Amino acid sequence: MINEETLTFYYYGDGLTAGERHEVAAALREDAELAARYTRLEQQLEQWRQPDTHRAPALLVQRWHDGIDEAAGADRVTANDKTNTTPFHFLSFAWGSAAMAVLALAIGIGVYFSGDKTDVDGTNVDELLVSVPVIHEPDPFKRGLKLHLQESQRHLVSLPGEAAENRILLVMRIIDQNRMFERAAKRNNSPRLARVLRAFEPVLTRLATENISSNDAAALRAQLTFELNVVLTKLAEDTSDETHSISISI
Amino acid sequence: MLLVLMAANSGTAGEGPSDNLTEAERLKIAALEMLISAPPDRALPLVAGVLSDNHSDAVKSRALFILSQIELPEAQALLLETARNGSPELSKHAIRMIGVGGDMDALAGLAEIYGSGDGEVRKNVLQAYLIADRADAVYEVAVNASSEEEFAAAVRVLSAMGAASELRQLGERGVNSESLIHAYAIAGDFASLRKLALDASNPRMQLQAIQGLGIVGGDEVNSTLMEIYRGADRDEVRRASLHGLMVADHDEGVLELFRASQDAGEKRELLHLLVIMDSEVALDIIGATLQAEE
Repeated sequence: MINEETLTFYYYGDGLTAGERHEVAAALREDAELAARYTRLEQQLEQWRQPDTHRAPALLVQRWHDGIDEAAGADRVTANDKTNTTPFHFLSFAWGSAAMAVLALAIGIGVYFSGDKTDVDGTNVDELLVSVPVIHEPDPFKRGLKLHLQESQRHLVSLPGEAAENRILLVMRIIDQNRMFERAAKRNNSPRLARVLRAFEPVLTRLATENISSNDAAALRAQLTFELNVVLTKLAEDTSDETHSISISI
Repeated sequence: MLLVLMAANSGTAGEGPSDNLTEAERLKIAALEMLISAPPDRALPLVAGVLSDNHSDAVKSRALFILSQIELPEAQALLLETARNGSPELSKHAIRMIGVGGDMDALAGLAEIYGSGDGEVRKNVLQAYLIADRADAVYEVAVNASSEEEFAAAVRVLSAMGAASELRQLGERGVNSESLIHAYAIAGDFASLRKLALDASNPRMQLQAIQGLGIVGGDEVNSTLMEIYRGADRDEVRRASLHGLMVADHDEGVLELFRASQDAGEKRELLHLLVIMDSEVALDIIGATLQAEE
């Protein structure tokens, strides 16, 4: 069954192998219901596509793909080493989460570069590479989630400087990413995380209001930033506890 | 004291001069943030102290979030107490945090708050149920709704939750509502829509359901809309099914109807629809029509 996640990867032209893209294309030709679902998704995502997104340098794109390959290779080794009792398809999740992380990073970098072609041409690429966050987290779902939360924090900080239209676009993208990770949290048997992610959406939706006052926006951003910090701290502690437990059991 | 010193030396990322907080508030908020790392039984009295002391709502709302993360019955009871008796702003935050915490007893306590609350409070409670993924609680609100507006609000939340089962149960209770039909369409509930679309006892609902089928789309929908069109004994039903076919983008079906029709007026209408649908066959038909002998 081709789910919304796969269709989203297909739309963005990333996160799927050539074989998987071919399968999705064939399914879209044969299954009218799937094609209708894809059309609705396309219409939704097309609203948020920036028309003048600058392409990232080829060097960065190669590093992103190398990062995905490395993550997939590490996860295959981990999956073979331990008994996986979680009820979701581990390998597709590793790919999905790694691709989501790259997608979130690509959106963040795309927004960072928009309107400033000189950066895209390479003058500050090294600084950008240095500023890419390194997430030490063995669980691919949590790794992707941490990246999403950190990127959300960065976008929230940059919001005051954005024109209303860009602010709304940016917030809608965060909401879209948030929903994906909420569904992922449910599938990953993390109801607590799913609840927190669902709770972010009404606050984000208010931030996307066209006529919101700067005071109200500042208060909402501050509230969200606090909650994001707390969740990130908790995730880091959970990882540390798991690592500690594993160390003890070895 | 150690906690305050830690807070003084740490920064809360993203909170700065643009967040409208005083330095004292920022310090307290940073200290609260540190409490997430403390053992729950140590953190709880400190958080409770913040809520009972004379702090700003900005500080207290952060305390409520920390409370939602403390998995102790006393913490959840304190959230419910704040939801019941706090200021309107804090009560709103507390209700949302009950959703985040997901505690069954606290969530059960929201029913009473919903019952005695105004429109804003009720909206917040529904939101908390959505956060906690409690479709059953929203279903109860819908079943006991005292107005169409209240029912529609609950149905919208069920729709957002993808609660197809609860939406269907509402339909099976004989509830007729445009908001419910709209929810079926968004949820892709073909079976519920088909049942209503073939039921002429409530003409208004029937027309809404027929048009809703178009949103669902698919082969079964296409067949049903064709069946409804052919069997229609009222113009408005015919028009609704054509509208459904257009939304479902089933130009082959419209073409089939065009070819089968013996009525010039109907043929004109169907051809016009094919043109609106940007169907490739429309031009072929136009060409053939113009070339046909008188």
